[in-house]
Amino acid sequence: MAAKGPLKLKFKAKAKGSKGGSNSTSSSSSSVSSKFEVIKDWTNWSLKKAKVATHYGLIPLIIIIGMNSDPKPDLFQLLSPF
Amino acid sequence: MADLLPPLTAAQVDAKTKVDEKVDYSNLPSPVPYEELHREAFMSLKADNFEGLRFDFTKALNQKFSLSHSVMMGPTEVPSQSAETIKIPTAHYEFGANYFEPKLMLIGRVMTDGRLNARLKADLTDKLIVKANAQITNEPHLSHAMFNFDYMGSDYRAQLQLGNSALIGATYIQSVTNRLSLGGEVFWAGVPRKSGIGYAARYESDKMVATAQVASTGAVVMNYVQKISEKVSLATDFMFNYFSRDVTASVGYDYILRQARVRGKIDSNGVASALVEERLSMGLNFLLSAELDHKKKDYKFGFGLTVG
Repeated sequence: MAAKGPLKLKFKAKAKGSKGGSNSTSSSSSSVSSKFEVIKDWTNWSLKKAKVATHYGLIPLIIIIGMNSDPKPDLFQLLSPF
Repeated sequence: MADLLPPLTAAQVDAKTKVDEKVDYSNLPSPVPYEELHREAFMSLKADNFEGLRFDFTKALNQKFSLSHSVMMGPTEVPSQSAETIKIPTAHYEFGANYFEPKLMLIGRVMTDGRLNARLKADLTDKLIVKANAQITNEPHLSHAMFNFDYMGSDYRAQLQLGNSALIGATYIQSVTNRLSLGGEVFWAGVPRKSGIGYAARYESDKMVATAQVASTGAVVMNYVQKISEKVSLATDFMFNYFSRDVTASVGYDYILRQARVRGKIDSNGVASALVEERLSMGLNFLLSAELDHKKKDYKFGFGLTVG
């Protein structure tokens, strides 16, 4: 257990060191990949919002376009069953 | 690929020129759109048989705008692992709004369980048409949408399809002579990762239409429709899949009478079906549908009324 202790610490330090080294060299590529991540997240967010907007708003949109077409129908005609 | 989505059939004017002795190769008619290749055969062989009660009421508010109310009650099939089909009785009401203009068509249908079914067709220029078809549900990851961009040239049509979950397809069909048109399609699906290519040919005359389609997914479809008279046409169809070795042949008929339309077919899988649409009076149509599957012992009967 005591022998394993310093081994673990050495391994951790090596890992940290190598990570630090690789981080410095690949910082430019990580910034490019983070830009892709940002764009991907932004498109996912906008597609989700577009899906919700279509889900709630498409039928009202069609009704608004239809009620404004000519000859303009009455509101009563929209709501009554005959 | 063409059977993943029902075809958006827009009102097409058949510009079939009469056959002269000499074919004018520089002035060939525009071909049928690629997804409507099998249109005449599927009118008799793939009629929409339904089960249960169906009531459709369409109320036109003016020339362009109409609302539709639709009630459907009956068993719906639930996909199950076992060979038996499991049916669950359901009832739903669907409200729809339609807007038709020469350059823009918008159809939206919403059901009581929150599912929205939307279709859009817009003519951006007189050669470029955009079509979109979407089904949106409340459950996550079950919605899908598909966008098609169609370009209509003088004697060819090209289409690009984009769908959600990374689906890309392209089709192209060209009139080779007055009667023969050849086409092909390519698609790539992200999930599951597969791509495919297919070819199709269609030969038509005033009295008959013959089409054939091959795809790299293994499906081969060939059909032949003969128009016996103005009122009667007969169709026959042969489908096989060379990977799964599934073969189906069917024969069907389509009688268009003055007050009724009767369509029926019989299949090599032991399925016989018929659909009768009768016009009781102006705007009132009565529907009767029957589908008997003798192999699976599944019998479906439906009746309905369409108003407006």
